[in-house]
Formats: sequence, structure tokens, C-alpha cells
Amino acid sequence: MITTSAREKTGWLGWLQSQRNRMIVLMVLAAVAMVIPLVANNYMLEVLTNAWFYTVLCLGLNIVVGYAGLLDLGYAAFFAVGAYTTGILTSQFGVNFWLTIPVAVACSMLAGLIIGGPTLRLRSDYLAIVTLGFGEIVRIIARNLEITGGASGLIGIDRPSFFGIELSRGIHFYYVFLLLAILACFVSYRLQHSRLGRAWQYVREDEDAAEAMGIGRVAVKLYAYVIGAMFGGVAGCFFAVKMTAISPETFTFTQSVLILLGVVLGGMGKIPGVVIGAFALVLFPEVFRGLGSMRMLIFGIVMLIIMLYRPEGIWPQSKS
Amino acid sequence: MKKKTKVFAAVIGGTLAGLLMLGQAGAADLKIGIMVPTTGSEATAGKDMENAIKQAVDEINKGGGVLGMKVVTMTGDDGCDPQQATAAASKLVSADVVGVVGGYCSGATLPTLKIYGDAGTPFVIAAANSTKLIDANPGTSFQINSTGFDQVNSAVGLFADKGVKKLAIVHQGDGYSEDLAKLTRDKWTAMGHEVVAYAVVNKGEQDQSSLVTKIKSKAPDAVFWTAYYSDGALLIKQLRQAGFRKLIAVGDGSNSPKLLEIAGRAAEGVYCFSNPTADYLPAAKDFTAAYKARYKQAPDAYGPLAYDGMKLMADAITRAGSTDKAAIVKALKETKDFIGITGAISFTDKNTLAKSNFVVLIAKGGKWVLNK
Amino acid sequence: MSNLDIILQQLANGLILGSFYALVALGYTMVYGIIKLLNFAHGDLYMVGGFVGFLILSAISGLLGESWGAILCSMVFSMLAVGLLGVIIQRIAYVPMLQAPRLSILITALAVSMILSNGVMAVTDGEYLAFSTDLSYDGLDLGNVFISYTQLALVIAACLLMVILYLFVHKTLYGKAMRAIAIDQDACRLMGINVNRIIALTFFIGSSLAGAAGVMAGVYYGSLHFSMGFVIGLKAFTAAVIGGIGSIPGAMLGGQVLGLLEAFGTQIPFVGSEWKDVFSFGLLILLLIFKPTGLLGKTEIERM
Repeated sequence: MITTSAREKTGWLGWLQSQRNRMIVLMVLAAVAMVIPLVANNYMLEVLTNAWFYTVLCLGLNIVVGYAGLLDLGYAAFFAVGAYTTGILTSQFGVNFWLTIPVAVACSMLAGLIIGGPTLRLRSDYLAIVTLGFGEIVRIIARNLEITGGASGLIGIDRPSFFGIELSRGIHFYYVFLLLAILACFVSYRLQHSRLGRAWQYVREDEDAAEAMGIGRVAVKLYAYVIGAMFGGVAGCFFAVKMTAISPETFTFTQSVLILLGVVLGGMGKIPGVVIGAFALVLFPEVFRGLGSMRMLIFGIVMLIIMLYRPEGIWPQSKS
Repeated sequence: MKKKTKVFAAVIGGTLAGLLMLGQAGAADLKIGIMVPTTGSEATAGKDMENAIKQAVDEINKGGGVLGMKVVTMTGDDGCDPQQATAAASKLVSADVVGVVGGYCSGATLPTLKIYGDAGTPFVIAAANSTKLIDANPGTSFQINSTGFDQVNSAVGLFADKGVKKLAIVHQGDGYSEDLAKLTRDKWTAMGHEVVAYAVVNKGEQDQSSLVTKIKSKAPDAVFWTAYYSDGALLIKQLRQAGFRKLIAVGDGSNSPKLLEIAGRAAEGVYCFSNPTADYLPAAKDFTAAYKARYKQAPDAYGPLAYDGMKLMADAITRAGSTDKAAIVKALKETKDFIGITGAISFTDKNTLAKSNFVVLIAKGGKWVLNK
Repeated sequence: MSNLDIILQQLANGLILGSFYALVALGYTMVYGIIKLLNFAHGDLYMVGGFVGFLILSAISGLLGESWGAILCSMVFSMLAVGLLGVIIQRIAYVPMLQAPRLSILITALAVSMILSNGVMAVTDGEYLAFSTDLSYDGLDLGNVFISYTQLALVIAACLLMVILYLFVHKTLYGKAMRAIAIDQDACRLMGINVNRIIALTFFIGSSLAGAAGVMAGVYYGSLHFSMGFVIGLKAFTAAVIGGIGSIPGAMLGGQVLGLLEAFGTQIPFVGSEWKDVFSFGLLILLLIFKPTGLLGKTEIERM
């Protein structure tokens, strides 16, 4: 918001403006995240692992929604493609888990291309419906095919080993997903400040002007789709081995909406905001058990209020 | 700017407070975990199971507890969702529960088996009964509900008795009902009969008229609905409205008074395969009375099984003579004719119920009654 | 049943189902036509309509008995209530967003949809409600083809509503204003048309049609659930797109086409009913890509 950035920064938020100080904060946070397993019990670890996992998914969707300004209501499909690729390859063909990652990434990127290629020329509201339909189609295909285990899904997916250590305990997956989340933050940050990131911003703000300036809008949007799909695919691979069982019920429309919620709650486009959004998503139902059944209602109301009063998100992106 | 700072501080503060709350775990004498869905679409059934377990615990404590210790419970909400279920299972395991009773949704229960297995925690599965659970069992879980295999046997038995030759099977595209539909189809064709229609109704789809027409055109002698009551009621109603007069049977997921309420008089004469619910168990009279007095409502379908699960766990701990998890697992495995309100419990070598406790019900006058 | 019987019966099934789709699709199309808003909450209005109808019917069944009169009465009240709800939603959630980026307004619509469905879930505790009216199973028996009187009544009611709507939009001044706003809002403002009021009226009519469909579904199928708006919302949107979104006759045609497609789709050999939704959504995607204007829509040059 222009008004905000024009105002003088004071207090510790002003202090945060300096690159060096930001790095200090990040380092401290990363250090805290690294040592938490030493004091946390299994339950806390499980919940935090889940939070890091959603961080990766939300950051992936953030590229599509936050950076490129496209509404994707079927993001769970990419996550499903990644999870099923790994699940099928390891459990039915005995492929080593680490080798399935590149295949899963390729498959999810391909899915991004298939759905994005022909549809990105459409109006944004049509795009929202197309992605929704695509998400449902992927889920139904997974439910109907024999190779995906039908409605019961795949069970008994082997846990991978890493230099001789079998990744099976909560703490292993905590670090795996923490590393993935840090990697996702880093990639997002670099993308945001790259040529492509600026192109996304132009396309998002004014498509025609961007086109006039020589930015191929369809190509630029397609990049957002494919990169976003890749994040979902990678998260899906690790999800499959962490859960050891996957079923179509995990990849419903509600899942896509949840991921979108994380992005919206955190202020679309802002990396720390999206991380906080992902944490809010996971911690809220755990902390407020009593409100469990009202969770989506409360999220819906919060989302509406954010859209009405802070349409750019709680933590809007400052513009250059 | 101040406002922003405050908001940020509130977010951080909230997160920290949340983490602290997560870490809380009270000290207790003998802690038993309850894993059921207390939120989400299956919350009604989950809460009923939780109630029944708590009632059992109170009775045990009034009788002096287990091994002289007072039993306390801790509930992990699985939300009928695999992801939430793993969090719930980890929560229970990290709170050092001696054993866990519960398990309603098969899909959500499945990924938790490994977590309990890794921790060596004994887990009595009271309701979930997909056959997939059998293969995924690392040896520490025990199913006290009859499995899908038992239900299939009841079902084909009834169809054969009624002289059915051509069968139509309809499921709902979820793990539980697909499993049951497939097993029934395989068994029925293995018996030399014919399955003339095998179809899926998408969850939440109200209009099934085109499917009804298709089924009618194949002229089956019976239609078997393997999924839940909500969509089952619609199918029954539309089948009867379209003039289908032959036998209709539904699986245990449809055993609910709601099915009769929604389908109205169309449900008259529909057969239902069911787990032993309180209404048909002579031994459950006291349980039902106590439950009604305590919770001001009648127990649901899986209350008695959950109650038995808790009693069985207490019995196993007493027999093991210690709270050592391995000893309890061993004691559970050696269970011989434990008399619960749902019948006698013994286990096969795969930790499933040795003797099926399925019953056949029929809808009469807007009520489920035992089929004689 | 002979093949001809099956074809005729499926034709009847398709047209009945299509009438529901068409009623709900009309609301989508009207709102989209006038302010280019994809109202995600529309399917949920259908669901709310069912519940309101149920409440009213249980309240008045003591007075009128569970007769057709009582059902008609509850339908009218439910249409009014849901229409008002539509206007309230428009005032609170959509009016402030009209100048916002498309992404924000879509997310707002999604939020409204979540609030409606989860709000009803909180109130009903996620339970299914039995909408028992005990209507008779009698009907027209044409050889092997059977259409119950209930089905017949529903189709006639749906057709009547659509005819009234068509006359309203094409023969009255308000209808003319609606059509004008769809073409150019600013020009209408200059011509002295109260644009906000006409938009509110559009929301009212569209929502009340969804409410009517909700009551009819409740009466016909006999059960209500908070999530019942999701599937039909998607299907009705597909119908609206097939017919050409923004076009009122298009929505009616699209609804019937989709209903028939689904009915006959079940008969396709070797492909089970489990693939039905893949066909519906696949068709939607293909249509949006290759013929986004649908069967009856006009070509328009669209800025994103």
C-alpha cells in the first residue's frame, strides 16, 4: 500500500526495514525452529510438522494466487499428483523413494501445463471454475482407477531411508518438512525478486499494460502455474511417505480451500504472512478444540472481513 | 503503525500460548486414550463412543479401578480425517497413554496403526472394520467389530435364502462402501450367481433417477446398498417410487433411524446388516438405562462396542498384572471368551474377532427390528 | 424394459433433473449477466431455501395439513426469505467490492459460501433432516415409463417460474433496466436508472429462484443437509455455461441439456456411473476453452 510505505517507519517495524536486521530475525527464528524438537513432545512435533507441510503448500499456491493473481480452486490436485506418483512407484513398482521425487515433480508440472496451457487465456472467474473442476476430476480419477487403489487408496507405502537411517520417527519428518519449508521460502523469495516475479506483478496489476510492455501474459501465468504445481508435487511426495497411506478423501475441494485460506489469511503475496497463515490454519483447530466444528465458519468470517477491510491481505505487500 | 505492532505481537503471543497449551499434559494414574472423531461430519457417532467409554471408565473406577489405580481418559479427536488422526494418535502416544480405545472411520484409523505400533501401544478398535485394517495392523491393534468379510457372509446368506439370483450392488465411492461392494461381488459371483449391475452414487448427489432406471432395466432380484444412510435413503425412495418391488438390503453404515425417517414408507421391508446395537442386545439393558440416565439420550450404533472395548482393555491390563505395554498386548492377544454386552470376544491370529456378531434387521412400521 | 422404454424413461428423468438445474442456473446467469460476478454462494442459497421451506412447512402444517397448499405456501415464503438473504449478502459482501480486483471479489464470494454452509452446519449440528411430506407415489403410468404426479407438479412449477421470469425481464420496465445495466452501467446511471436498486432486484429474483428449487428438492427427495448446495451449485454453473452465461433462455436450455446428458450418460456401456462427474466437469472445461459463449450466449470482448 502506497500510503503505508510513504509513512515514516518507526519502532521495531522500522528497524525491520533494514536488510541486515531482517536477516538477524530470520536467523533467530530458524534457530528456534531447529531446536524445538529438543523440548517438544511427539504431539507438538506432529502438529508443527503439519504446519511446515502446509507452509510448503501455501507458498506454492501463493505463487499462483499471490504473485500472479490467479484464483486456483483445485490446488489439491497437484498435491495429489505428487503423492500418488510416489505412492504408486514405491509401493507397486518398488522404486526407491528419492528417485520418485523427480518423476513426481515432472508429473505435477505436466499437470500444471495441461490445465494451465489451454485455460490461462480465460477470464479469471472462468479460470477459478475450471481449476475447481480439474481438482474434482483428478480426485475422481484417483478414486476410480485400480492402480491408485480405488476409494481406499494406497496403503503400506514404505518409509524412505536417508544414508542408512530410516525416516520413521516424528522428529525425522519434522526436520524434513522444516527443510522443505525453508527451501520453499528461499525459492519464493528469489522468484519474487526475479524478472519473472516483476512480470507477475505487472500482469497482476494491469494485464493490458503488461502485454503492451512486451510481457507475454500467458507464458508468464503458465510459469506461475507450473512452479506452483511443482511445490505441491514435492509436498505430496513427502506427505505420502509420512502418512504411509493416502486416499482420495485427502484431496477434496475442502483441502484446496484450506490451502487457499492459508494464503489469504496471511496476506496474499507476502512470504512471512503466508507462513503465519499456514500456522494459523493448523494450530487453530488444535488449540481451540471446542470450536472444532465451527472452524470453517470462523475461517469464512475472517476471510470475508479481511476481504472487506484489507483486500490486499492482513499484511499487504509493499510496492516499489 | 502502533496498531500493526500490536497485531503482530498478538499473533506471536497467540502462537506461543498455543504451543504452551499443546505441551500440557496432566499427570494421572492409569491413562487410557480415546481416539474418535469429536468434530467433523462423523462427530455424532464419535461423541457417542466417547460417552460410552467414559461410562465404562466410571464403572471401573467405582469398582476400585484397575490394579488399584484410578483410570483417567484423554481424548484425541481424529476428525474422521487421516491427517488429523495422525496428530491425534501422536498426541495420545506422547501423553504416554497405556492403551487406546476407539477408531470409528476406517480411513482415519488406518494411518494411526503404525504410530501405535511404533510406540507399542495396544489399540482396541471398537468400530472401524475395513478389511484394509487387517493388513496394516503391526500387531498391537485389535478389532472387536466384525470385519467386512463377516458382513459379506451375512449378506450373501440372506440373498441366497431369499432365492435371489440376479443382484445389483451400489456403493458410494469411499473406502468403506467400495470394499464391502467388491467383497460382495466377488463372493456372489464365486457362488455361481450373477451381479447384473455394479454402480456408484456420488456422495451428495440427490437425483438418482437415471441410475434407478438403469438398475430396473437389468431386472435384478435384489439391490444391495453398501454405503451410508443419507444417500441410501434417497436411493431406496427413488427405487420404490419408480416401482421396484423386489428385495432391498443395506449395509451396516445405513443402520440409522434417520434412513427410515428420510425414506418414509419406502423403507418398509428393507433389510439391514448390523453390528450388535444396544436395542437388540439383551445384555445391554443396564448399559442402555445407565447411558440414558447419564447423557439424556439413547446410545447410538457403536456405543456398546466402545463400552466393551474399554472393559476389555481394563480386563487385559488386570490380566497382564502391569502397565507394561507389551504385556498388555500379549494379554489382549490371549483374550478367551471375554463376555461383553455385545457377545463373547476372542481373537483370530490376525487380531480380528473370532466369531462374527452381525445381525440382520428389517424395517417394520418405521423401526428396525430383528429379522427372525 | 425394452430399449425404447429405457430411452423414454431416461428422457423423462433428464428433463426433471434439468428443471432443477435450470432454476438454479438462472440465478447464476442473471447475477453474472448484470455485474459479472460469479456468485459462489448461489448453491448455498438453494440449500438455505430447502431449510427455510422445511421450517415453514413444519410451522404451518398444523394449520393447513401437509397438503399441496401448505407446500406452495412454504415455497412462496422461502422464496421471499432467500431472496432477502440474497439482497443482504449483496449489500454486505458484494457492493463494497464492486471496484476491487476480480481476485478479491471471487474470494469474497467463496467466503460467503463457506459462511452459509458452515453456519447451517453449526445450527443443524451437521445432521441430515428428513423432509417428510408423505406425498403419494401415484403417477402417470405410460406402459413401462412412469412419471409420478409429484415429479409432474415440480416440472410444471419450474416451467411456470421460468415463464414468469422471462415475461418479467422482457415485458416490464424493470426488466428493461436490468438488460440495460448488463450492457452499460455508467450510461444507465446517466439516464437516471437507480442502478443499485436494479442490481439488488436481480439478486432478489435470482436468489428466490434458488430458494424455490431448494424447497422443491426438499419435498421431492425428502432430505436436507448443509452440504447439498455444493454439487448442485457446480452443476448449475455448468448448465449456465452450456447455455451461455448471461443469457436467460440459455440457462433454461443449458439446464435441460445437462440433465439429459447425465441421464443418458448413465446408459453408456462399459463406463460406469462413477465417471459421470468427470464427464460433466470435462464438458464444462472443454466448453469454456472452445466455446466460452455457450449455446445461446453472445460473443463479447472481455477485459480480464
